[in-house]
Amino acid sequence: MKANENTSLKQHMGMKAKTRISNTVIYIILVIMSIIWLFPFVSIVLQSFRGGPVKGMTNEIIPSIWSLENYVALAKTDFFRWYLNTLIMALVVSVLQTVIVLCMSYTLSRFRFKMRKGLMRFMLILGMFPGMLTMIILYRVLKDLGLTQANAVPGLILVYVASSGMGYYVSKGFFDTIPKSLDEAARIDGATRAQVLTKIILPLAKPIVIYTILTSFMAPWGDFVFARYISFGASKGMNVAVGLFNWLSKDQINSSYTMFCAGGVIVAIPVTIIFMCLQKYYVEGVTGGAVKG
Amino acid sequence: MANVKLTNVVKVYDGNVVAVHDFNLDIKDKEFVVFVGPSGCGKSTTLRMIAGLEEISGGTVEIDGEVVNDLQPKDRDIAMVFQNYALYPHMSVYDNIAFSLRLKKMPEDEVYERVTRAADILGITEYLMRKPRALSGGQRQRVAIGRAMVRDSKVFLMDEPLSNLDAKLRNQMRAEIILLRQKLNTTFVYVTHDQTEAMTLGDRIVIMKDGYIQQVGTPTEVFDMPKNLFVAEFIGAPKMNIMETRLFRENGKWFVSPFGVKVPVEGEKGEALTKERVGEQDILLGIRPEHITLSFQGGAGLIPCSLEVNEMMGSELHLHVTTEDGSRLIVRVPTLGLSNEERKALRQGAKLFLGFESKALHFFSKETENNLLVKE
Repeated sequence: MKANENTSLKQHMGMKAKTRISNTVIYIILVIMSIIWLFPFVSIVLQSFRGGPVKGMTNEIIPSIWSLENYVALAKTDFFRWYLNTLIMALVVSVLQTVIVLCMSYTLSRFRFKMRKGLMRFMLILGMFPGMLTMIILYRVLKDLGLTQANAVPGLILVYVASSGMGYYVSKGFFDTIPKSLDEAARIDGATRAQVLTKIILPLAKPIVIYTILTSFMAPWGDFVFARYISFGASKGMNVAVGLFNWLSKDQINSSYTMFCAGGVIVAIPVTIIFMCLQKYYVEGVTGGAVKG
Repeated sequence: MANVKLTNVVKVYDGNVVAVHDFNLDIKDKEFVVFVGPSGCGKSTTLRMIAGLEEISGGTVEIDGEVVNDLQPKDRDIAMVFQNYALYPHMSVYDNIAFSLRLKKMPEDEVYERVTRAADILGITEYLMRKPRALSGGQRQRVAIGRAMVRDSKVFLMDEPLSNLDAKLRNQMRAEIILLRQKLNTTFVYVTHDQTEAMTLGDRIVIMKDGYIQQVGTPTEVFDMPKNLFVAEFIGAPKMNIMETRLFRENGKWFVSPFGVKVPVEGEKGEALTKERVGEQDILLGIRPEHITLSFQGGAGLIPCSLEVNEMMGSELHLHVTTEDGSRLIVRVPTLGLSNEERKALRQGAKLFLGFESKALHFFSKETENNLLVKE
């Protein structure tokens, strides 16, 4: 009996030591990975506070002169114009796109109509083509409408919102998990379809609503290709990504690199705040699904 | 507080699957009608057509004299209780019950009054502030009933409301539904697959199979005078014993000969056979397990058999017996009617004799499976 206990104890100790070693190895790998991953971000923040006459790239990681002059200098440029453009686009798009996506998802989840499956398949295939393919024709159309260059903001909103119905997959999948009998009970209780959606389905699908708002806010906030193309060099119509990128061009990088870093930090602030507040829901929205009836 | 009339109602799914055939029924004001049948018989579909949750493929549904075929569920003034409760998980019990009233823009005072009154009747006052997930199955079902109750609607629909409850709770809730019905005094349409629920709750029972109505009648009617073999076997537990035999006349008297034993058909049933001008023929003879008399001694007209299984149910015994030709029958015997010696004698292999009383016999045509004594 005693001997048995001893061996099992030894085995136990052996296991413990093994776990400790493997944990140590895992943590070392994770630490190295996070240093590599975080380095660009940290360095941008540090560079944004670098003062002194040299405005281009240097070899120093930690600035020798700390100052806020880069942030002050931003005010003298078009930066806040771009910032405002981006904010307007992101806000308008997130509202419109969320409404469209949620209505679309609810329709496809709850209504049965002819060609429903066909429509879903069609959109799935359409979604497989890269959006870039439409760039030339889109530019042409928007130019005819007068919505390019300085007027790029409404034009871009149109572009971002136009295809939003196709982003129904995730929320439709979530709606499908909500029992249909809830809809039926509500309809018998006197609710219209719209009331069913707003009073029953959406409160139950809160994570997915937030996920939809976030993703539709992020798309215009970080877009570069379309924004650059539609604004076509007109500073008035640029978003932050396009505007800031110009400061990295060959003739400007030596005079504006630190300002670029300061702009980058300001751009990251609202997104970081939103994510921190809504992180809980975001994770639920992506991974969760079950609704208890 | 209204009658419901279904005329030639048909439900066709996807253009070819017919779920309900030519359904005709007139549900009177304040009547409690139960649709009963095995799964897939179209009972829920019919209920959902009354509710407006399924489109009506043909025929008309009238509520209170108004054709409601094209009305949305919300405009039909009906209340419904679902099998899976369908409570709104994000709302408290109070909000769940108040939901329909608030949609009607009823003043909060009146909402409060109605909700608390309903909660009081159902005994769920202390749970009003809880979320549905913090309730047991029985409590959830009460909330669901409460939600339907507060609306004072014309018709009260219930779709297998007790199926998700355990046996004990089901019996309790069944009694409560009877009480509730007396309090509400409105028209009820109730769907179930459980014949006990149908028998105990319904003023009238509609027995369905494969989308067709098999019989409509009071519990007594469907029990005593089943229109066909299906109804006979569906109503009553354990189910009716059925045996093939011949119905014939000798010297003006009717006889059947189950398992080669000549059993006279006398009294009412015999007279009825004569009156309905039934001919001699091969039939399916039915007798309910509780109507078979048991004896330990043989005699004229008694069927010898041996006991296979003796199920002790408490107040009664279910005896599974085998006749000489190997057919199996079930006999229900009340335990009170047996002496201790007799109970001991009921062991496997015991020789028993079964008596078929004439008034308990049911005669079904072998061809059509219809009851020979029930005319359309």
